[in-house]
Amino acid sequence: MKILQSVKLAWRSINSKKARSVLTVLSIFIGIASVMAIVSVMEGMKDFTRKQYAAMGSNKITVSIYSWAYDEEGNNLSKDYYPELQSFCAAFPQYIEGVTPNGRSNATVVYGTKNSDNMEYQYDENWNQTSGPPTVYYGSELFSAVNNLELASGRDLCYMDQQTYNQVIVIGSKTAEIFFGKLNPIGKVMQLNGQNFTVVGTYAPRASNDQQAFSLDCIMVIPYTTRRVLGEQVITEYYIKAKDSDSINQVITRVGGFLKGIVPTNNGGYNVYSESSWQESENEYMTMIGLVLGGIAAISLLVGGIGIMNIMLVTVTERTREIGIRRAVGATRKDIILQFLIEAGMICGLGGILGIVVGSGLSFVLGKLIFKTVIYPLPWVTLSAFALSVALGMIFGCYPAIKASRLQPVEALRAE
Amino acid sequence: MANFIEIKDVYKIYSEGLESEVRALDGVSLTIDRGEFVAIVGQSGSGKSTMMNVLGCLDVPTRGTYLLDGTDVGTLSDSQLSHIRNRQIGFIFQSYNLLAGLNLLENVELPLTYTNMDSIDRKEKAMQALEKVGLAERAKSFPKQLSGGQQQRVAIARAIADAPPVIMADEPTGALDSRTGKEILAFLQQLNKEGSTVILITHDNGIAATAKRIVRLSDGKIIEDKQQEVDWQ
Repeated sequence: MKILQSVKLAWRSINSKKARSVLTVLSIFIGIASVMAIVSVMEGMKDFTRKQYAAMGSNKITVSIYSWAYDEEGNNLSKDYYPELQSFCAAFPQYIEGVTPNGRSNATVVYGTKNSDNMEYQYDENWNQTSGPPTVYYGSELFSAVNNLELASGRDLCYMDQQTYNQVIVIGSKTAEIFFGKLNPIGKVMQLNGQNFTVVGTYAPRASNDQQAFSLDCIMVIPYTTRRVLGEQVITEYYIKAKDSDSINQVITRVGGFLKGIVPTNNGGYNVYSESSWQESENEYMTMIGLVLGGIAAISLLVGGIGIMNIMLVTVTERTREIGIRRAVGATRKDIILQFLIEAGMICGLGGILGIVVGSGLSFVLGKLIFKTVIYPLPWVTLSAFALSVALGMIFGCYPAIKASRLQPVEALRAE
Repeated sequence: MANFIEIKDVYKIYSEGLESEVRALDGVSLTIDRGEFVAIVGQSGSGKSTMMNVLGCLDVPTRGTYLLDGTDVGTLSDSQLSHIRNRQIGFIFQSYNLLAGLNLLENVELPLTYTNMDSIDRKEKAMQALEKVGLAERAKSFPKQLSGGQQQRVAIARAIADAPPVIMADEPTGALDSRTGKEILAFLQQLNKEGSTVILITHDNGIAATAKRIVRLSDGKIIEDKQQEVDWQ
């Protein structure tokens, strides 16, 4: 018997028992819908973190160098490796765009009547700081490049600022707004822990091009050579900006090798890693959550599958006589198996389609609520969800179908 | 010429060896040639239905051999038996056994769907069979919209759709009034005239009397086997 014929036949028998078919379809649909929603949301989450890391600074490599040793007076013996790193990085212009120290601190920032000590931290729902005291970063002239910050007005920090211990600052867009309102901040003098710093530039709002980015708008950046204003500061972290994503591993290897030679490891050490390596571990974590959620969805699919099996067994019993007639006129066991398998597969396929529709809707809503973005169901997710539902029907339809095919024609014909 | 249908020393025993042992067929031998019209007659419990199941390849005997057109049916696999039922035998049952969910045409098509025939040929053959029983114009009706006699005619159409050499009718008139019953018998006689071998199972001596040959069963044994002259219209 031809497949198309069987499909038509299956559709008719599904159609002839509408209420039952709808209920069976529902039992599959719930599982498929949750699988769809879970997979879509997981994918959305991965996308979300990817964007976050991209916003944090693309091709950024973090170098941390630390020491646990202290001298007799209790001072940490961590050493500033910036000069060494800088000259090393300068030797590989084909891989490396530049390096900056990265450190930050809170400080009392005063301009006129505005005093950061009197300000309150405010965050949006993504835990981006939206208002309050600025975080003071210190870095080299490459700080903005490494952190994907763009200049909005004035000038950026420059090499000479560091060389001359120039007390200048570039401020984030939010900080500019908080302290200066509509005034032009360029040239204004602010007090950082009582020291005068002149504003030379402002950065563009970081969030403007990507609403999911981590905010770097409530900040101010000073040349790392003037960091003494923030108190005793040993640089332990540096950012290196690689030329492109392909260079990242190359840079990690080379910088690691370089540091191996110069950083004592008996009382400290160093670490070189890129955000993409963080991202990988984050993805692993995400996959684990996905597996747990997927396990729950799998249970609901299993329940649905058992429902299918149950209904198919009832159907086979009800249609014993039909099976007998078909066998009498020449249906082989294979024909009977095929008939019931296709029927089960079809019911589940319908459940799958319904589940895909509802699951897509669900991931759309969840995407809006959690990530503030639209999650479109991926084609491979949709296709596999459909294939999964049909396969489910086939697998759980197997036993009833085989049972049907085992009926002896004579006995089946005798059934009422 | 080899016999078309030949059973030799066939037993069908249920619960063999137990106290409840039933010998539905108790060492039966019978040959039927092509073109015969045989009535297998017997009281209920005489084994005539078992005989039909064995002859129709719906059931296999406990012992004994069954040669159908030279093929030893006992050695065939389940799917080969299905194939024989599909190609060699057309069944007509007392309770019609039409599928309620299919219309008449589809019911008649049923045996053809288990062949490799394409759907156009299938429809054509099914339609021809329906025409033969005078129900072509009702092809799209469903069985429950028909009278018993009409349903049995559909069943005949289904039995002859693929022109099998043997027609097996199990009490085909059992559920019908005598006038309609005669009509059905006339159809069977017509098929026999056209060359089909007809095996009619009945408990009704009056119906058996219209057959060219009567095989009488009692307690699983053949007690009478006679040829007779018939006077068919």
